[in-house]
Amino acid sequence: MTGSPSNQDFFDVRKIRRLVDLMNERDLTEIDLRQGEARIRIRRAGEPAMAGAARTPLAASPPAAPGPPPAKEALPAPTAAPPMEDYIVLVKSPMVGTFYAASDPDSPPYVSIGDPVGPETVVCIVEAMKVFNQIPAEVSGTIVAVLVENGEPVEYGRPLFKVDTRK
Amino acid sequence: MFKRILVASRGEIALRIIRACRELGIETVAIFSEADRGAAYLETADQAFCIGPPKAADSYLKIDRVISAAEIGNVQAIHPGYGFLAENAHFADVCRSCNIEFIGPPHEAMALVGDKNAARALARKIGVPTVPGSEGLVHDEQEASAVARQIGFPVLVKAAAGGGGRGMRVAVDEKALAASFKQAEAEADAAFGNGELYLEKYVEHPRHVEVQLLADAHGNVIHLWERDCTMQRRHQKLIEESPAPRLDDSVRHAMCDAAVRLIKSANYTNAGTVEFIVDRQGHFYFIEVNARIQVEHPVTEMVTGIDLIKAQIRLAAGEPLPLRQEEVRSHGTAIECRINAEDTTKGFRPSPGTIHRIYPPGGFGVRFDSHVHVGYTVSPFYDSMIGKLIVHQPTRAEALAGMRRALGELRIEGVKTTVPLHEQILDHPAFIEARVDTTFIERTWPS
Repeated sequence: MTGSPSNQDFFDVRKIRRLVDLMNERDLTEIDLRQGEARIRIRRAGEPAMAGAARTPLAASPPAAPGPPPAKEALPAPTAAPPMEDYIVLVKSPMVGTFYAASDPDSPPYVSIGDPVGPETVVCIVEAMKVFNQIPAEVSGTIVAVLVENGEPVEYGRPLFKVDTRK
Repeated sequence: MFKRILVASRGEIALRIIRACRELGIETVAIFSEADRGAAYLETADQAFCIGPPKAADSYLKIDRVISAAEIGNVQAIHPGYGFLAENAHFADVCRSCNIEFIGPPHEAMALVGDKNAARALARKIGVPTVPGSEGLVHDEQEASAVARQIGFPVLVKAAAGGGGRGMRVAVDEKALAASFKQAEAEADAAFGNGELYLEKYVEHPRHVEVQLLADAHGNVIHLWERDCTMQRRHQKLIEESPAPRLDDSVRHAMCDAAVRLIKSANYTNAGTVEFIVDRQGHFYFIEVNARIQVEHPVTEMVTGIDLIKAQIRLAAGEPLPLRQEEVRSHGTAIECRINAEDTTKGFRPSPGTIHRIYPPGGFGVRFDSHVHVGYTVSPFYDSMIGKLIVHQPTRAEALAGMRRALGELRIEGVKTTVPLHEQILDHPAFIEARVDTTFIERTWPS
């Protein structure tokens, strides 16, 4: 990935930081720039941004060879999320369906941020074909993030909660 | 008309259906497995949901997951494409009981024609010729041997629930029959969960000719002429064309007429195909009905100018057929080569991998239906077809020349493909003169 002096200019760290700021400011999901054979592509990873998250996860891809640009991802992979501390475990949806945080509209959510959970603790319901499937945490720890909204459709493998397994 | 359709398939046929929907102004919901995540064609849908892990049994074949995706996607209909759930009568029934239209025939008609035994019985009843064979299922080797003596060797042992050539065996004498029976039974049981078999006369030097049909829910059935799919290897089609070369016009008309009668008497609606084999004397025999859109449907689209996917959607929405039989005309010759990611020098072994270069052909009369792109990974989980190259020209000679030219332009790097074999077939005098049968490829390029 060595480049000519102009390419080094192109990949100037300050410039990239400005692009990242611009993405955050304008809530962009992807920036793809090319100059000659050099290319910068910055794209948000798949995980939905949390309210109040300190940093927006960003992933920069290396400059691509000339030719057609690689296709955008239809739905970025949950696994494309930035590396997390290994004590954080994601509770993922085991099926496609509708996410419900509580057993019924009048009840409080099964779990909220700060709640302790064990492997058997029901954390939510995913409704598929009129069947309300109770989803267990399958891990012990503390809920540190709820990643989906009540009533939101979720696909297979969609991260639902973040659990801090240290506590 | 439907507002939103779920496409319950993957790859090129998913893209083909999404394209038709977009032209009709219908929104689309795609589903995909983890192995297909990131495929570019998913972006052409309005929404896409991951429904499971790569294994088809846990994703594309999982009825509850498909229906669940249809419900959260709020669709009015499901197009099953081909493969996976396309000919699953139970799935069609489940869709409709969830108030989601299944774009295909009624599940009763699908179950009837899907049972080859019942379909043959129906054909015989209405005077459509079938290959001489057992009256229904044969239950053991003794019964098979008695039937074989009566109809004469060679005989073909076939799975009642079969398709795509699986569970089929040719036996030339009594000794071979005993072995074939056991093998076919085990293979059918493994592939379809149903080891039931039947027996029929093995027609020598057969050609495979099939008739495309469209039927509406108002009792109208039309045929869209025939396709010749003789160029197959182990019952997997490689090249299809329309019209069938060297087919007597009286035979062509008789076959198309027989196919219409069969579809009518099965109370079948939507698109379907009736398959026949034809011997050198022009005798034709009914083989089976394919209750779905077929891979090779573009060949018929090119010669008739009728978009079969749009027709399927309109028929499922209850619209009548837009044209009468005498208005269906066939122009010129269309030919299709299936481009599979396979190593033809190593027994057609699948060649999964990442495509790092692709240059699709173009120009007059060339159509390339493909979902692959640079960076696309051909996964080992599904069938190996990566594209269909279709050429339409005024005459067969011109179509063959056009196909040779288009194959020469096509560049795919990263995986091995069937293109070199297609080029050899296109140059072979027997194929050029249409003096071939369904064993031609296996005999000429044994592997």
